[in-house]
Amino acid sequence: MSDMKVQIGSLVLKNPVMTASGTFGYGTEYMDFFDVSLLGAIVTKTVTLEPRYGNPLPRIAETPSGMLNSIGLANVGIKRFLSEKLPALSTLDTKVIVNVAGHDIDSYAEVCRLASEHPRTDAIELNISCPNVRQGGLAFGTDAVFTAQVVAAARAVTDKPLIVKLTPNVTDIGDVAMAAVNAGADALSLINTLLGMGIDIHSRRPLIARGLAGLSGPAVKPVALGKVYQVAQKTDVPIIGLGGIMCWEDAIEFFLAGACAVQIGTLNFVDPQGALKVISGIDTYAKEHNISSISELTGAMIAPE
Amino acid sequence: MKQYECKLISQQEVSKDIWRMRVYTPQIVEQSSAGQFLHIRVRDSIAPLLRRPFGIHRIHRESGELEILYRVVGEGTNIMKTILPGDTVDILGPLGNGFNLNGNFNTAMIVAGGMGIAPCFYLIDSLLELQKKVILFWGVKTSEEIFIDVEILKVKGLEVHIATEDGSMGHAGFITDPLSNYLNTCLQKDIMQGFACGPNPMLDSLQRITKNSAMDWEVSLEAHMACGVGVCMGCGVSHRDGGFRMVCSDGPVFKLTEVDLHE
Ligand SMILES: Cc1cc2nc3c(=O)[nH]c(=O)nc-3n(C[C@H](O)[C@H](O)[C@H](O)COP(=O)(O)OP(=O)(O)OC[C@H]3O[C@@H](n4cnc5c(N)ncnc54)[C@H](O)[C@@H]3O)c2cc1C
Ligand SMILES: Cc1cc2nc3c(=O)[nH]c(=O)nc-3n(C[C@H](O)[C@H](O)[C@H](O)COP(=O)(O)O)c2cc1C
Ligand code: FES
Repeated sequence: MSDMKVQIGSLVLKNPVMTASGTFGYGTEYMDFFDVSLLGAIVTKTVTLEPRYGNPLPRIAETPSGMLNSIGLANVGIKRFLSEKLPALSTLDTKVIVNVAGHDIDSYAEVCRLASEHPRTDAIELNISCPNVRQGGLAFGTDAVFTAQVVAAARAVTDKPLIVKLTPNVTDIGDVAMAAVNAGADALSLINTLLGMGIDIHSRRPLIARGLAGLSGPAVKPVALGKVYQVAQKTDVPIIGLGGIMCWEDAIEFFLAGACAVQIGTLNFVDPQGALKVISGIDTYAKEHNISSISELTGAMIAPE
Repeated sequence: MKQYECKLISQQEVSKDIWRMRVYTPQIVEQSSAGQFLHIRVRDSIAPLLRRPFGIHRIHRESGELEILYRVVGEGTNIMKTILPGDTVDILGPLGNGFNLNGNFNTAMIVAGGMGIAPCFYLIDSLLELQKKVILFWGVKTSEEIFIDVEILKVKGLEVHIATEDGSMGHAGFITDPLSNYLNTCLQKDIMQGFACGPNPMLDSLQRITKNSAMDWEVSLEAHMACGVGVCMGCGVSHRDGGFRMVCSDGPVFKLTEVDLHE
């Protein structure tokens, strides 16, 4: 038997597979498709202090082996999230990671504090990497100084494990990663979507109303893997890898590059049971390779020349 | 459970580029109601990546089979038409909210434009089962798209009005013209319920011509979708309250008066 348990700071997951923020709603929507308690964790849709309708339409489009989105953090707001959405997860036997965002340092800290106070919140994921909002989001995640400030502000108001979600849209992801770690992040998750665009040549309009949007899906996997590898070279804090994972083999690649756990995003849309298939595939691989604990795989790639 | 591997029974081109696919899926047939939709993975591959949404065209309770009527327009539908009898198809469904048939009405007026006819057959079957009178307004570009013999519908008791944009059958022009005339002369709107499915410009014009009418209308909308189950927040439609609703999980059927269909 191989041990699928992984530890991310003080957070222990029964297996290393979670569903990514924005691709799994508030955790209940996929209950008609499989037993969500089988997941290592659920990461909920980014929640902000106030409810948001999000960006103008259209805000999704398909691209070769990927998709563009500019949802713009549409969400119910922290009040309804705490009173309606989190309680609906009370009987689930899996960890709940609450993903939060703000538009300035104070609002990041406040939403983080409110989310942390709820007993169902097992950890916080700080989204400083959304490409689809004017304030907050990328503006923080692309700047090491801002990153340090917002992470420190969140750290000051929560004792729960604090995961900081990074953007790939930077020159050197190592700088931002170290800024987050030095400011108190317990773990890092990467990557959020890559900034991209598509244009309808007949109407000459961008495919997404706002023009620029975030690219996800298998098209981004090599980029994501490269970023995980780069960050793993810089720090020992646990890394949660994501970006384009479509099957268990992809997940193993992320472990080998330096991740201790993975998140499944766009795959949920393609195959709601995809995350489960990833879990069982990892399990089988571990058994076949006589791996006693899945965490042995983290960073176990044979170093390049 | 809402994800099934369904066996394909038959696949037939019923008119140029319009295909009818029949699959065996007793669970979806059992759970479904008219107006709900399916989210189909056209093949086990990352190209194309996303599923494709389709209405349920008809159900056959005795055999546990259902039909999808679709127009071949792009990559996904071009692959879909090559699925062979005996192959399995990965389908999510039934998804969304169907038409409300419990209202206090005795006559149903259905307006279908283009492929909007697809879910209307399931709707018609359900209405006839409930002993309702059905008046169908069916608009297409050309008579080739009228893939069945209209006489068959009339034998079932339907009143049928056809409009073709090229004038090859029925009224020459948009279906909303004969509809508008009909509504102007019709006196019993209080006992009628309207249902509509078709391209946005048709629904937009329906909104205008029914503005001051006492009749209640339900419309089925389309939007580009990723998840199909209300999690990605991608398939929005503008709502009169200034916000958005999700076509997949709040719809695809909405009240005509609550949605804003302008570009
Ligand atoms: C609820 C619902 C029910 C539908 N029912 C039917 C039906 O019964 N019969 C039928 O022929 N068509 C129906 N459609 C439209 C059908 O989904 C599209 O024609 C189909 O997705 C086109 O795929 P493609 O790969 O061939 O085209 P492409 O143009 O190559 O598709 C590219 C992308 O755009 C999306 N897309 C393109 N056109 C549409 C559209 N009209 N609506 C939504 N997404 C679109 C595709 O899903 C894909 O992600 C329905 C759409 C919705 C939302
Ligand atoms: C439709 C959509 C909505 C998303 N919303 C959020 C969000 O609210 N917060 C967040 O941190 N990431 C969000 N993401 C990013 C994903 O969590 C993930 O980082 C990204 O999609 C890469 O992973 P993938 O390729 O497996 O999807 C969203 C992605 C998609 C496709
Ligand atoms: S398609 Fe994802 S919310 Fe409707």
